[in-house]
Amino acid sequence: MGVRLNLCNLTVEYGAFTALDGLHFSVKEGAFVALIGPNGAGKSTLLRCISRILQPTRGAIYLDDRDLHKLPLKQLSRLMAVVPQDTAVDFDFTVEEIVFMGRYPYLGRLQKETPRDREIVQEAMQTTGIAHLAQQPATSLSGGERQRVVIARALAQEPEILLLDEPTANLDINYQVDFLELARKLNREKGITIIAAIHDLNLAAQYFDDFILLSDKKILAAGKPEEVLTPENMNIAYRTPVVIGRSPLHGKLVITVLKHWHPDKKGTLNAGQRVHVIGGGEEAVPVLSLLREAGFQLSVGPVTREDSSHRFAAYHRLPVITLPPFSPISDEYYRQHLDLIREADFVVIPSIPFGCGNMRNLEAVEEAISSRTRVLILEEQPFSLRDYSKGKAGAVYERIKAKGALLLPDKETLLSALEAFSAG
Amino acid sequence: MPLKKRVPSSKTNPGVFLHTPWRKRLCLLLLLAILFLSFIYAVSIGAVYLNKTEILYIILEKISGYKNNDVALMDTSRDIVLNIRLPRVILAGLVGAALAVAGATFQGLFRNPLADPYIIGVSSGAALGASFAIVSGLSLGFAGFGAVPIMAFAGGLVAILLVYRLSRAGNRVSVMTLLLAGIAVNAFLSALVSLFVYFAGEKMHQVVFWMMGGLEGARWSYITGMAPYVLAGFLVIYFFARELNALLLGEDTAYFLGIDAEMFKKVFLVAASLLVSAAVSTSGIIGFVGLVVPHVVRLLAGPDHHFLLPASALTGAILLIGADTLARTVIAPTELPVGIITALLGAPFFLYLLRNQKKIRYFSRN
Repeated sequence: MGVRLNLCNLTVEYGAFTALDGLHFSVKEGAFVALIGPNGAGKSTLLRCISRILQPTRGAIYLDDRDLHKLPLKQLSRLMAVVPQDTAVDFDFTVEEIVFMGRYPYLGRLQKETPRDREIVQEAMQTTGIAHLAQQPATSLSGGERQRVVIARALAQEPEILLLDEPTANLDINYQVDFLELARKLNREKGITIIAAIHDLNLAAQYFDDFILLSDKKILAAGKPEEVLTPENMNIAYRTPVVIGRSPLHGKLVITVLKHWHPDKKGTLNAGQRVHVIGGGEEAVPVLSLLREAGFQLSVGPVTREDSSHRFAAYHRLPVITLPPFSPISDEYYRQHLDLIREADFVVIPSIPFGCGNMRNLEAVEEAISSRTRVLILEEQPFSLRDYSKGKAGAVYERIKAKGALLLPDKETLLSALEAFSAG
Repeated sequence: MPLKKRVPSSKTNPGVFLHTPWRKRLCLLLLLAILFLSFIYAVSIGAVYLNKTEILYIILEKISGYKNNDVALMDTSRDIVLNIRLPRVILAGLVGAALAVAGATFQGLFRNPLADPYIIGVSSGAALGASFAIVSGLSLGFAGFGAVPIMAFAGGLVAILLVYRLSRAGNRVSVMTLLLAGIAVNAFLSALVSLFVYFAGEKMHQVVFWMMGGLEGARWSYITGMAPYVLAGFLVIYFFARELNALLLGEDTAYFLGIDAEMFKKVFLVAASLLVSAAVSTSGIIGFVGLVVPHVVRLLAGPDHHFLLPASALTGAILLIGADTLARTVIAPTELPVGIITALLGAPFFLYLLRNQKKIRYFSRN
């Protein structure tokens, strides 16, 4: 796979304003590249430069070995097609007429379309799934359909490079996914090199192979998603703290923008109260989140680094006991846990599953429960359904209840109970 | 205003009647036939009614030199046909076609349904030239043209040039700036024209008459003088119909399709301006033909310029021949300025189109 596009010191200035500042990068043949970056970073300017709408002030773009900006326009339009962001059509052309315009670069003056042209137009409409709309006026289509018409037109140009400018910006979620599936199909099956400016980082991470991150008129990072989509890069480019994880469903990176926590007035009332939450399992996080928002000071019980409540604790810098993965809870961790529980005013056991691995967490609660350390149990699901220890954990659970732990059916009641207790 | 969403009912484009190539060809043939009939009819009526076969014989005789001894042609009939009515009807056809094609071109170029041939100042420039010639009593002659058409032609071109220079930034011309500069220049030149009219004294009615538009001055030299511009302008625009189609989708899109939008904007601007200047110089300012005709044709056949341009030319010619015939017969022996007729008929028709928004949907986004 050779290098197709090569940007050398690409600079664009509008008078005193610099829009792009000395960009260097290359795009390989057959690449599937997402161009990301905050608003105003220069994504559109870069795409407009590559599509030749804009002339660079300095530097050049090379297509193979030729200066892109010196290529005859007609020749360029056979190599490169562009799907602009705004696909609105003002005039009543039919879908087929619009797609047919993609053949203009191939038609000589006064030359009639050949059967081959018609075939290509048909194929382009079939690929994008708009063949049934061929005779409809383009003005009567929905935004998603119109975008397909514009892609079909781009395909009719038989391009080797396809530029997409914010292709998913105006689409609903279902069209967004459809669109990116289509783009990937074109990339994989037809070998079209695709460069797309895109805002939705998670969608981009799900589909694209390579990333270019623009920030402040420069390239901040370029390469594989793991190299580009790092919390540090995101923080510099978007000035927003993010957590980057992997989706359990497709294994691609998932970027979560972190919420800023502003405890409300009511929250400050709870500020002095320490609540310890037993971690382990997805159900603990909503409880942590709710209590955190209500202003309680939190600590989290022994969990492994992979656990979701561990990530929550790490981000909010909560006291947490970190276990080594796939290991039973040793006496030392048990003791640490006991200390953490005893420092707390309340202990909350969320509706999490228990097995032989984390049964000792329950035992620690049983040992610590006293009039000073109240225990609240959130039972959104009967314990028997969450007991993976053949009843051993269930026995401890029953003993905790017998020792005076408060049983609560849902998170709202849990919160009001905690608030009632802390208010005295 | 919200538009009713059309439910796609069939595979064909329900908004457009003439969607197949053969229907379009048939339509052009039909228009050609109507043009011929209205041409003969227009030549036949007037102060003296002439027999239609007689007219055909006279024309045939003139063209081929063939003499038919069975028909006794009166010299007066021959005179009326050849020297009075024929040049007038032909000029009406040429002017109508020129205005309609220029209107279609400007509407496409500006992607604006309200664009008409006079949108960027040709009319006021021409009016200034003409009123100057009339008021000053300028005596000037060139190739059978008097001072008024020459000055009008020059004035129109100068106005366009001015608008163009004003709206150019570097090597680029923004369509929006062009439109705005056109409005400003139009207003300024119109004020100058009013000034001339104010001081025109007894020649005032002449200036006003000219501005209302009329074909009463028609003579062969006008036709031979303007026909080349009209023909050249039309051919250039038609030759680049594909480019004009692409420009309808926006300049960037045209550029992505390998079309040098900047260059073609200039090409269309020059060609359409020549058409309008040629029309205005011989017949004054005739309104509404250039605005309404392209709309009607788009309604029937969609915006494809391969059809829109020739069909607009034919329809424009038919319309102006009809309007001019009406103008010179409706209160005969006095003539009405044809511009009054076209505006009287055109404006209500345009309003009708506006009221039936569905029908000008081709300009609206949904």
